[in-house]
Amino acid sequence: MEIRSAASEGLASCHVCGKVSAVALVHCPRCHGHLHLRKPDSLARTWGFLIGAIAFYIPANLLPIMTVGGFGGSSSDTIMSGVINFWHHGDALVAAIIFSASILIPILKMLALVWLCLASSGVTSASPKALSRLYHVTEILGRWSMVDVFVVSILVCLVQLGAISSVTPGPAILSFAAVVVMTMFAAMSFDPRLLWDRQHGLKIQTGTPPSNNS
Amino acid sequence: MKRDLPGLSWPRLDDSSDIVACHFCDALQKAPNIQEGDAAHCCRCGEVIYQNRPRSLARATAYSSAALIFMVLAHTFPCITLEAAGKRTELTITEAALSFYQQGDPLIAVAAILFTVVAPLTLMGGLLYVAAPLRFGRALPGAVRITRLFQLSEPWCMLEVFLVGILVALLKLGGVGDLHFGVGMWSLAGLVLSIAAAMAGIDRLELWDRLEIAVAKSK
Repeated sequence: MEIRSAASEGLASCHVCGKVSAVALVHCPRCHGHLHLRKPDSLARTWGFLIGAIAFYIPANLLPIMTVGGFGGSSSDTIMSGVINFWHHGDALVAAIIFSASILIPILKMLALVWLCLASSGVTSASPKALSRLYHVTEILGRWSMVDVFVVSILVCLVQLGAISSVTPGPAILSFAAVVVMTMFAAMSFDPRLLWDRQHGLKIQTGTPPSNNS
Repeated sequence: MKRDLPGLSWPRLDDSSDIVACHFCDALQKAPNIQEGDAAHCCRCGEVIYQNRPRSLARATAYSSAALIFMVLAHTFPCITLEAAGKRTELTITEAALSFYQQGDPLIAVAAILFTVVAPLTLMGGLLYVAAPLRFGRALPGAVRITRLFQLSEPWCMLEVFLVGILVALLKLGGVGDLHFGVGMWSLAGLVLSIAAAMAGIDRLELWDRLEIAVAKSK
């Protein structure tokens, strides 16, 4: 049996409630969400957020993420130096958690999204099944990068001992949070159905459809 | 007209919802009849299309109300108390976010409040508001809009990440002073589990199918 795309039948599944209805209706009859065959301007938006995330990733790693002040002056930690400190103190598990959440996941996520964008515009080719599995994992894992931001917020909140020891957030924390939020937006704007359209030679207008107010 | 499909534990409004399109590959297919506890997978890409959760509305209602109770507790009592050098500091979810504000980083403070306070509250409050009346086949005013809203907030609810953040911070604190776990910590753990159970309790498609019938009835 030949499997057909909903889009080739002029049907759109609502991205809010999942109901399948004719795209000509413009609004979903069930939840009143806007109906699209594909997410509007999916690739352009994903690239935009992705480039923003990559740009923010540089200061996020170079600037200090927090400063610990005390009697003997203050010391600043970047993400990587924090991981190395943990490793030297024998906390291999924490070092591994921070390393995967703050360094590995963001990098892999950005690489995965670049690959997905390239694949759906036809530059590289791979099985759409594997790629959509990759997309799914990317979407789920992305939020865990936020753990470092929360660690800093908890330390700043708890360690306020005046002159003895106090923790202040560093400038990298804003860039890092921006990286996480932007990669999340990038993953949300990406439409995995584009991967399958390419394989099946389906041409769909992905731009914003002209509004039909009549 | 309400139809009961064989094999599905929930009714659907009409024939048109007999077909589903996969959200990952857009393959158009007939909604398969599945048993309670099973999941329907896409015939082309194998991703889950919908699940048939047993006692879905009861679970969603129960776990979302539990989550709201845990939420009150987690905000009232400190998660961690640190005593060092004669000073005592307490950690609550809001305090952690507000510490950025006090250190002159209002933008992150707003983001942290959104991820750990607003999004979980919208998610669980919204689910309870919609799921509880649906048990009696009713929809309260604005239910459609609220369902859209809490679905939107789902990816931004990051309390489980915050919980792992506390654990990492604890290891980082190590020998700074005397650390005590408070009621807030256990409530936060309960809250994280309840949110996960509530969201896994009911399938999105089922919630919308039932809501559609309830809304049509109240018109």
